Amino acid sequence: MDAAFIERLRKIVGRRHVLSELEDLRSYEYDASIDRSLPGAIVFPGSASDVAAVVHACNDRGYPFVARGAGTGLSGGAVAESGALVVATSRLRRILEVDPDNRLAVVEPGVPNAEIGAAARAHALQYIPDPSSMAVCTIGGNIAENSGGLHCLAYGVTANHVLGVEVVTADGDTVWLGGRTVDAPGYDLLGLFIGSEGTLGIVTKAVVRLTPLFEASRTMLGVYDSIEQASRAVSDIIAAGIIPGALEMMDRLTTIAVEESVRAGFPTDAAAILIIEVDGLREGVEETAAAVRAVCERNGAREVRTAQTEEERDRIWRGRKGAFGAMGRYSPTYYVQDGVIPRTKLPEMLREIADIARRHDLRIANVFHAGDGNIHPLIVFDAKKPDEVERAVVAGDEILAACVRHGGSISGEHGIGTEKRDCMTLQFTAADLALMARVKTVFNARNLCNPLKMFPTSRRCGEGARKLAGGELPPALRAAAGPAF
Amino acid sequence: MLETTPFAASLQEAVGGRMLVHPLECRPFAIAGSPPKLVVSPASIEEAALAAKLVALENESLVVRGAGTKSWRPPAPGDVFAVMDMTRCDGVVAHEPGDLTVTVKAGTKLAHLQSVLSRHGQFFPCDAPFAAQATIGGTLAAGAGGALRLRFGSARDNTLGLRVALSDGTLAYSGSKVVKSVAGYDAYKLFIGSLGTLGVIGEATLKVAPLPAADGLLAAHFRSPRDAAACALDIARSNLFVWAMSMHAAVAAARVGGLPDGKSAKTWLLLVRCGGSPATVRRQIDGAARLCKGRGALDMFEAPPHAVVKLCSRIAELAGGAAYPAGEFIVMKFSALPAHVAELADAALRVWPSAEISAHPALGIAYVHVPLERSSFRSEQLSALWSDLHRRECSVAVLAAPPAISRDLRVPFSEAVPIELQRRMKHALDPRGAFDPGRGAAGL
Repeated sequence: MDAAFIERLRKIVGRRHVLSELEDLRSYEYDASIDRSLPGAIVFPGSASDVAAVVHACNDRGYPFVARGAGTGLSGGAVAESGALVVATSRLRRILEVDPDNRLAVVEPGVPNAEIGAAARAHALQYIPDPSSMAVCTIGGNIAENSGGLHCLAYGVTANHVLGVEVVTADGDTVWLGGRTVDAPGYDLLGLFIGSEGTLGIVTKAVVRLTPLFEASRTMLGVYDSIEQASRAVSDIIAAGIIPGALEMMDRLTTIAVEESVRAGFPTDAAAILIIEVDGLREGVEETAAAVRAVCERNGAREVRTAQTEEERDRIWRGRKGAFGAMGRYSPTYYVQDGVIPRTKLPEMLREIADIARRHDLRIANVFHAGDGNIHPLIVFDAKKPDEVERAVVAGDEILAACVRHGGSISGEHGIGTEKRDCMTLQFTAADLALMARVKTVFNARNLCNPLKMFPTSRRCGEGARKLAGGELPPALRAAAGPAF
Repeated sequence: MLETTPFAASLQEAVGGRMLVHPLECRPFAIAGSPPKLVVSPASIEEAALAAKLVALENESLVVRGAGTKSWRPPAPGDVFAVMDMTRCDGVVAHEPGDLTVTVKAGTKLAHLQSVLSRHGQFFPCDAPFAAQATIGGTLAAGAGGALRLRFGSARDNTLGLRVALSDGTLAYSGSKVVKSVAGYDAYKLFIGSLGTLGVIGEATLKVAPLPAADGLLAAHFRSPRDAAACALDIARSNLFVWAMSMHAAVAAARVGGLPDGKSAKTWLLLVRCGGSPATVRRQIDGAARLCKGRGALDMFEAPPHAVVKLCSRIAELAGGAAYPAGEFIVMKFSALPAHVAELADAALRVWPSAEISAHPALGIAYVHVPLERSSFRSEQLSALWSDLHRRECSVAVLAAPPAISRDLRVPFSEAVPIELQRRMKHALDPRGAFDPGRGAAGL
């Protein structure tokens, strides 16, 4: 980015709040996915009007820009493709208001998810979505990615807990989508915006819905000697009309790694474990926990353990949340998939994943949200071996293709970003994608706002490309991703 | 002679011959009193897409219609060219009980869907009014819902994906068929609550919920809307997690048989619906009763468990005009902060003393039904009331009004609503303006 532009940014936000030295750019070239790209500069706006001024400046010069929260995204959403300007929200981190009567909070985009929860707890309220990275990931990023979490099975994802957002659109206009009350007149632009991966604008304020704290909860560990039995137990719990707050599954490869790093007390000789949490009123929790235990035992659980203390419960969740990080035991790098399948297809899908691992001679660990069929196969590979990287990518694509074949989705909560953009054609037809492209032009006609995300740019997912007429991406769709700057 | 034009012939062919042009046959499909020149009844979304395209190419417009329960929404259309009757496009496409999902065609009646699901111990958690007649497509297009939204979220929250047809003949699926997906834009959400102005909803994949083991309903009378609403907020803030709450002016509650009478016409009835295991329901009812007492409830009544579901379905009809004959009432929906619902009810009653009000206080929604026979309704009254409430972030929609009033009715909306983006969205998806032009929110 040229000096005059950098100078203009400095005038907007203050000299200290623009970074453009190479060593600074390096620390912003990646998020938690595998793609990376060096940004043109990093700007740290201190207010919503700063954000608008920065976006105007980008529009004047035709520079692309991308919003960035904590950089914990798993699909490349915050990676500055094409040397875009990174608009970091880390200075916008005030909780502006907690309104317990109306059960809402108004926050700036850079507030970490967990801090909203902590502020709410002072009023016996909570903010439900809880991604594993909640200690650091920001609400702005959560909104961009429509983040899920461990407790979304019963209570929904980010889209179900955001009432409104103040947004600086791609053109630099500041608008409210939704608000503090429900059912704003007109089209549900808020619903569209949440999960749009930062391609429609930048959140500058958010009104989030708060929920009362649960009176009681029980966390249980079901231990299984076969993956088959564990997945059957998952189906049977749902079939019994029980929707637990969380219903997670981990295979042996994962528990071994977790035990070495976190020591959660998971049995490392079991083929699979289930972590089940039920919450609500004390009486209901006791009843439901008993029913869950019965289903688990009926499906051959070797042991069903109930956390007796808060400390024990924390340890179980620490183990679950630390699962991705624990993969370091096997290799410094792993490639996590995020497909979704109808939960009744779980046993079949897990068999297919094992098969794919065998075929490509790779180790794939499984740790996932079993209750909603959102799988997270962790493909372990060594980045120093090009052949292994290639096999990991192909295996990942095959897993996603299998998810779609089962009627599912290529992403449950991590987003498409750069990582899965070329797999979009697996799930969507050219007409489906064209509808998205039309919607995008309404907000981001010049494609300056987070370009090259979500829309396919090439034909990596071979199987998907065949679904499109002639096997080639229609030019109109290639344009939807945006130009390379 | 419309029926003899080549356009009519191709339109008729597009919908497998199911086209009406005779005025007498078209009359039952009138939109707010205006009969269309023709009615097409596609049996599939493909037919709907083709028909929409043909009408748009002719530079004419069409109104998509389910059961027609919400066709009195203002502004009344001048002339209606075509009605697309979706009731032939019906049926459950796939129901996988273990996945808690169901895919239905848009013309399927909500009541039919519920009966199919109930055989598997499940339900679609949307207690929108007009439940007996309304279709899924119409319910979603209207963004309709009821008090269950407190526990289960809105119709939008329980929709996973839609198959839609646009006026250029595009057929697209948006969303997914599984309970969780973030792949691509959730463009389908634009169609929910769009009042049919963006395209045709052909098929919907919905999230369903297990029926509870037990149901409960607590009714309590209060001296004023203020007390009833304050109690509702107490319950909403508690950890009881009740399923739904609604509050009704005595005169509105009297429309539902089986509810207790208040001691005076001035009282308000708060209804608290509970669901879950038997022990949970007991705790919810007892806990809610304690909070009601704390807010000075005049009396309390617990419905017999076997009567709860039926009673609740009748209560649901009070919200959104179903219990009020079209042509005799103006039906308005106000959205406000939950803490302002009582004030809103009081303000509406000052303007229209004979209004009947039902509200979902914990959601911040109030339905105001003004009887035309006993009130003089003027557009300016609504504007004045709205500007008064607007400072408190209130918005209003008029759900039904007789044509005489609705033609000149100006429904106020906040300047904060990004109208330009809305207009661009309409233009991007329906560039020829074929779908019910001028009858979306803010005249889109």
